[in-house]
Amino acid sequence: MSGDVQTDAYQRNVEALVSKLRRRYRFMSPEVLTAGLITHLRQIVGSRRAALETLVVLRQVVTKARFSNIEQLVEIIHGAGRRLVEAQPKGTSLTVAFPGRHNMDSTEFSVGNTVRKVLHHIREEYRTAAKKVPEDTALSISKLVYQGQPRRRGMAPKSETDVDLKEDDLDDTDSFSRNLKPVFMEAIQDVFDELETVYDSISKSAKDHIHSDEIILTIGQSTTVENFLKAAAHYRNFTVIVAETGPTYQGHRMAQSLSEAGISTFLVPDSSIYAIMSRVNKVILGAHAIIANGGMFAVTGSLLAATAAQAHSTPVVVCAGQFKITPLWNLYQDYSALDFSDPSNVLGFEEGDLVDKADVINPYYDYVGPDLVYAYITNDGDHPPTSIYRLIKETYNDEDIEL
Amino acid sequence: MPPKGPAAKNKDIAPVEEDVIQAVILAESFNKRFKPLTIDRPRCLLPICNAPLLDWTLESLALAGVQEIFVVCRSHPELVKAAIKESKWSKPGSGLKIVPIVTAKQTFTPGDALRDIYTHGIITNDFVLVTGDLVSNIRIDEVVRVHKERRKVDRDAIMTMVVKESGVVHRTRSKGESAVFVVDPETDRLLHYESVTGYPKTKIARIPREVLNEHPECEIRYDLIDCSIDICSVEVPSLFQDNFDYGHIRRDFVHGVLTSDLLMKNIYTYVAKDGYAARVQDTKSYDAVSKDILSRWTFPLVPDNNHPSSHAYEHRRGNKYFPRDNTVILSRTCTVGTNTLIGSHSQIFDNAVITSSVIGRRCKILPRAKITNSYIFDDTTIEADCVITSSIIGTMVNVKEGTVVEKGCLIADEVTVGPKGLVKEFERVSKKTKTLGAASSTDDEDEDSELEDIGEEQLEKLRADLGTGSNAFVWPPRTLILEDEETDEIENVNNLRLMRLGDNATDSPVSEAESVSTDDASSPSESDVEDNLDESHSSASSNASTSTPATSSKGVSKEEVEFKLEVTQSLERAFEEGHSVDNASVELKTLRMASNVPLSRVREAVIAALVDRISVVSPEDGAAKQKVEVEKVVERWGELINKIGGIDGVETISILQNHCATTNTQLFGQILVSFYQNDVIDEDDLKNWQRLPASRTGQVDSAENHKKFWVIGSRILQQLLEQDSEDESDEDGDEDDE
Repeated sequence: MSGDVQTDAYQRNVEALVSKLRRRYRFMSPEVLTAGLITHLRQIVGSRRAALETLVVLRQVVTKARFSNIEQLVEIIHGAGRRLVEAQPKGTSLTVAFPGRHNMDSTEFSVGNTVRKVLHHIREEYRTAAKKVPEDTALSISKLVYQGQPRRRGMAPKSETDVDLKEDDLDDTDSFSRNLKPVFMEAIQDVFDELETVYDSISKSAKDHIHSDEIILTIGQSTTVENFLKAAAHYRNFTVIVAETGPTYQGHRMAQSLSEAGISTFLVPDSSIYAIMSRVNKVILGAHAIIANGGMFAVTGSLLAATAAQAHSTPVVVCAGQFKITPLWNLYQDYSALDFSDPSNVLGFEEGDLVDKADVINPYYDYVGPDLVYAYITNDGDHPPTSIYRLIKETYNDEDIEL
Repeated sequence: MPPKGPAAKNKDIAPVEEDVIQAVILAESFNKRFKPLTIDRPRCLLPICNAPLLDWTLESLALAGVQEIFVVCRSHPELVKAAIKESKWSKPGSGLKIVPIVTAKQTFTPGDALRDIYTHGIITNDFVLVTGDLVSNIRIDEVVRVHKERRKVDRDAIMTMVVKESGVVHRTRSKGESAVFVVDPETDRLLHYESVTGYPKTKIARIPREVLNEHPECEIRYDLIDCSIDICSVEVPSLFQDNFDYGHIRRDFVHGVLTSDLLMKNIYTYVAKDGYAARVQDTKSYDAVSKDILSRWTFPLVPDNNHPSSHAYEHRRGNKYFPRDNTVILSRTCTVGTNTLIGSHSQIFDNAVITSSVIGRRCKILPRAKITNSYIFDDTTIEADCVITSSIIGTMVNVKEGTVVEKGCLIADEVTVGPKGLVKEFERVSKKTKTLGAASSTDDEDEDSELEDIGEEQLEKLRADLGTGSNAFVWPPRTLILEDEETDEIENVNNLRLMRLGDNATDSPVSEAESVSTDDASSPSESDVEDNLDESHSSASSNASTSTPATSSKGVSKEEVEFKLEVTQSLERAFEEGHSVDNASVELKTLRMASNVPLSRVREAVIAALVDRISVVSPEDGAAKQKVEVEKVVERWGELINKIGGIDGVETISILQNHCATTNTQLFGQILVSFYQNDVIDEDDLKNWQRLPASRTGQVDSAENHKKFWVIGSRILQQLLEQDSEDESDEDGDEDDE
């Protein structure tokens, strides 16, 4: 059914993003890395950019889609989302924890997350419009965690459409889409706005987390963390220690950026993280993806920092946008790592003699378990790892977990 | 629907069509290194890590943003066409346009293939030329951009070769077929290309002195992998068309273009600092590239991500790859070692051990089989207790129980070996057809040549070990057949050994040959290329003219003698028939190219011929008459010396001196004056020559003459200087008068 509805136009849009995502990987060549762009591409352009681009595509898809009931629309979005997710380079052992279902995994989780979120919003809008009873308003224990935090629960109805919604109207097949499309577009716009402001919303609480004269350790170059620290610097006077983060050495750029913002910054080699941990008051990390058990994937070296912090009972705080919360479980991680890149950053190809004799493992992300994380700071409030599952429940619909 | 739709559509499409990158894939290897695996399919469809090589190449090109691809195929064109049709790239929306081009069976070299491309007239722009066995993640579009930029400045830049730094010893770098690159580090221009073979071991790289003279700084590199990714201009196919004898792209075309005085074209290199590119050109590099893929050097082209055949693999600790669809049955007690890939629907039974290997789809590895460093294609069964080491085994092969396959074997499709058979090291086994030998491959004439001469008894003897249930025969070792055949030096049996899987060539004739091949070396003590290179470099650049007499008189090889003879003959003809100087110079240039000698050698020959041409007048007749004779020759032909490609007055004088000294001609002074008067040399040349220590001393046997001539030369110079000053004062006087 959905095949009929899908028009050429949006298929082309999906293909364009698909090829963009595929091609993006060629930027991964270390050549760009030396140009100092890799972090940019993987972290900034990476998660948030991918989410934004997904939204653009979905907006097009919804604009051009022809549907006469909600199921058709959901099916169309599902189709597009699946295509986008599949298109991504795969390289993980992350699995949906539903036995019998297909593995669904990709490195750029934000694409799938965005699709899920859009679906969730559209469903909610539909429910309001169709004057159906909203499900799940029950109190939950997680709400206790949110006390003091302004929390948007669900969506405020966008429009008070009093038009009778007729699904599958045979006389006027377009009536349903005509009536609801503007509402859906607004719902997508909401997600868009949220993404646009994600860094600001996270940074808002910065001064509550960082106190004067503290020593903060961070690793890698995460825009979220960068903005967070810079925001805190408006109010507080503190010191940041940045680990170099080999083999990409994103830390160099992070340190430069922070010190340009007037923050007193030290750059240390990764090997000395444990040694200086005793002086550190707080570890602030960025995340690539937060997964359902409350653990997360973050740039290589994060596990090292988090473990060292645990040994010194130093709190580990993770700053991440809500779009990084991913309804996936990390089932068979032998490596505690994800997304293995080529060894050339570690061992040059010109070391001909060694190439044959040494096996080099160069993971891009570490898996940091929930027990190592103290709290997540998101644009949706602060959460302990234990309540991530609840956030997932609230942000996404169960039926969208598998796209 | 908003009106934005169609506009946006156009925007999407427009930039794609604006700058299409074309690529030509030579999906033909023009050699037989993978025989007998390539009996039933072309080499470009051999699987590497369970995807045909051609797919890896297409994936590499797609990753680099190429949009239009021409695949040139010769053997099994129908299979290649079918493969292209089935591949995911033929689907709409893949963004690639692939056109197969079938060339004639008479296409024997890459050169022929390019001539074919030329006649098709499909190339409209700069294009990427690759072979159908390339695995790469280099950003070719970047190289194309660099090439195009360069074309704007230098119209003669016709080609950019992509090379990769690797160090001298590298598993992916072929020992049998490599090259010395002389590169200008500033412009990346390739100044000289010298191909190097492993056997007979190339010990001396000859670099033309002009290269070192003209470029004060140049890098001589022997640590590069030639990725055979070339960005070519439209002229390249037409150059092949014009030069019908160009066969090999590197040894003929690149070498030819660089040494040619007529073409005046430049070739550049692009040293890829990052990224990976390598060719599967022999079984050894098949092994190396497989390992590189498995250990993720080719990232993002790795089995668990962008697998060219769209298989989904899961990457586990130790670079092990298992299919994601959960169709593999692994016994609890089997051992799968590092750097291993197992295809879908395969079964590994109890206590089987697999290390550093690639197992195809639907394979069965029965209990206690041991597979190390081997490549097993689809649908093959390895029965219990087999031991397979460093071999490539085709599809639907059945290795029956207890069979041992020693290192370096190639077992072709549908062969059955064993039970309890033994395939000895480096044996090549293929299926027995109805009649042995000649009929083994019916459709390809050139393929059975290897088997024709071998008698049936010999074949029977060879296959004795294969086991009772075997349907196969063993190909006789290459050495038996090819020994007396005139083959290309790269395809030499001993050289091929260096390209063979599992062959470390410790017992090969390479080591023995080391003491032999020094016959034409100027200094026999030099043992490796690099030393040699350094030395020639330093001596040549520090003092160009010292080495001239040294190299000319010593070690004159057969070729040089021939060349000299040719030059003398052609000049004689020119003298007799009264050719124009231009015609004569063209003839000399061609001769020089044909016999590949340095410029100085041509100059020597020309000067010698000129001097010999001058008839010696007996001293009684007086100097004046002699002068007339000299003048006659030099006036008519002196110009030629500077028209043979490059002007070097100092060298001219040195050569003249040398020639006169060795032949004991007393005309040195007169000829020199005559040269000066006819503008063959100028005053500065004379000054510089006089200053050279070598001009004064010369060689031992003719030292006296040398000294004498030097004195004469100096005197002439002095006279000239005096004359000049007189002239000047005259002129001054004239001016004063006016």
